[in-house]
Amino acid sequence: MLLEVRDLHVEFRTRDGIARAVNGVSYGVDAGETLAVLGESGSGKSVTAQAIMGILDMPPGRITGGEILFRGQDLLRFKEEERRKVRGAEMAMIFQDALSSLNPVLSVGDQLGEMFVVHRGMSRKDARTKAVELMDRVRIPGARERVKDYPHQFSGGMRQRIMIAMAMALEPALIIADEPTTALDVTVQAQVMDLLAELQREFHMGLILITHDLGVVADVADRIAVMYAGRIVESAPVHDIYKAPAHPYTRGLLDSIPRLDQKGQELYAIKGLPPNLMHIPPGCAFNPRCPMAQDMCRTDVPPLYAVTGTDAVTEVDESPGNRTSACHFWRECLHG
Amino acid sequence: MPEPTPEHHLPGAGRTPEEGAIADTGMGGAMDLATAEGETLEKTPGGPQGTGPSEKARSLWSDAWRDLRRNPVFIISGLVILFLVFISLWPGSITWLSPLKCDLAKAQEGSQPGHPFGFDGQGCDVYTRVVYGARTSVTVGVLATLGVALLGSVLGGLAGFFGGAGDSILSRITDIFFAIPVVLGGLVLLSVVTSNTVWPVIGFMVLLGWPQISRIARGSVITVKQNDFVQAARALGASHSRLLLRHIAPNAVAPVIVVATIALGTFISLEATLSYLGVGLKPPTVSWGIDISAASPYIRNAPHALLWPSGALALTVLAFIMLGDAVRDALDPKLR
Repeated sequence: MLLEVRDLHVEFRTRDGIARAVNGVSYGVDAGETLAVLGESGSGKSVTAQAIMGILDMPPGRITGGEILFRGQDLLRFKEEERRKVRGAEMAMIFQDALSSLNPVLSVGDQLGEMFVVHRGMSRKDARTKAVELMDRVRIPGARERVKDYPHQFSGGMRQRIMIAMAMALEPALIIADEPTTALDVTVQAQVMDLLAELQREFHMGLILITHDLGVVADVADRIAVMYAGRIVESAPVHDIYKAPAHPYTRGLLDSIPRLDQKGQELYAIKGLPPNLMHIPPGCAFNPRCPMAQDMCRTDVPPLYAVTGTDAVTEVDESPGNRTSACHFWRECLHG
Repeated sequence: MPEPTPEHHLPGAGRTPEEGAIADTGMGGAMDLATAEGETLEKTPGGPQGTGPSEKARSLWSDAWRDLRRNPVFIISGLVILFLVFISLWPGSITWLSPLKCDLAKAQEGSQPGHPFGFDGQGCDVYTRVVYGARTSVTVGVLATLGVALLGSVLGGLAGFFGGAGDSILSRITDIFFAIPVVLGGLVLLSVVTSNTVWPVIGFMVLLGWPQISRIARGSVITVKQNDFVQAARALGASHSRLLLRHIAPNAVAPVIVVATIALGTFISLEATLSYLGVGLKPPTVSWGIDISAASPYIRNAPHALLWPSGALALTVLAFIMLGDAVRDALDPKLR
């Protein structure tokens, strides 16, 4: 396993109390594999990613438990300086809004070249040549001329390509893309996603794709991990989850996708709001919004159940590759 | 126009038929259609934002410079300041007398050939003294501003970047300095100094002036630090010093420049004030403040001896404040 997150806990200490943003997340991604992490705003998907990258703002953030194993080594035990060398070279991140993620006062060539200057100790001139190559690689037309341009002179799609180029520059083993297409036009979204998927295949990288867009996920992901209130509620290979979700929250998300045959009808929405992370409901965090909730859901925190075709009941902790659901009634959900 | 590689037009490539079918239930189908069109749309040379050949790559600074060149306030104040700097460097180019060569017999005499501004109470040529006074004022103003800007932005920038206890301590120290009345502080501190050079005055100005710049630099760094591009640079492995110097400083320096330019004017007037009160510069240093002070007892008999240095002082201070305004408008159009 290239990256394995085990039972990660992150909390934020604020003036109003402690917000438990991540409560025991475990997931893993292999080289060449794409894991989609799905969830609403505030479900902890971005915080988990920031913890993996080591760019969480601490304070107010605090990692209170768990391990982040990268090639078998626990990153949380690394010194900051060692960690910094991993960032960018071994693992890189792509952000949602490319315009605000690029420095407005540096030309894109300088910013791309910086990767080589920082990590490879290249001269500015060589780094510039590399920057042009990278821009060509992500198919930015006229790279040689445009390398001196500033971020605001590019369109949204082109800017996101530049971000991808920066992340890919040193051919890292792992890329985390935090909603890479959310800020883009629908037409451009597909191109950027295809480019990302293509580069991932070519370099055989592990990709963690954080998104709330199920349409994007279906195209590129191998596995899906659905997060709710800082926990993974369901984890499964992508086609299993689309065929039959094993958690009512996943079912709700799938039902919320607008479909062409529904034209004219009211769109489905999961009722209620995501929980306040300072007061996560007891029992299953989803119970106040769950159409299937029973009494035990309000008291007992559901463990991760292994979802199997048979009715055999086994509790698993974390064994990636399997299908898991954190719902007491996953079987009813699967068949209903 | 570089052609996109053929495989890019096949978003389904590398996917199993089953996955493709799943995609079509979501948004995948619509996005696949969009790929081919959208790609060609974006391939227009120069990008959709249309940077024509006449429009060269523009940074914040070249933008600001373009604004400044068209601003009459900047042109006028700039010319005045250039002239001041010129006569500070080469006062002999427009005067032929020594400011210290005085003839008591001509005391308080008015304008006459060769002595356009007349004579002061000691029989010194007012024109020559006004010209040489510029050197003192500009020296004090520039050095004090440089010292203040350097000390203030380094301390404030570090405090804003690292935060924590150091930041809190620095903020309280700046509060203490803000509570010191400048003129009273000058009277107390400088009255014990016997040196005849400009250094004690400059040192005093730096001591009292840095908290203002420090506050502005701190606030500016904190604002810039929250930008996504800083987070992105961190995620790609930039070190603290690189983040601060290359990503934050260039984006945070504009308010410091504006305030420092305006402060330059106020330092010049502060020097005159302190010299007038007898605690600033001391004869034989030639200073407008000293001359104003010396001429004030004879204001009824020889008003010219007071008015010329006062006018020069007012014009100089005004020029720097106008310059500061123009620079602020150019660097931050939102403030206008």
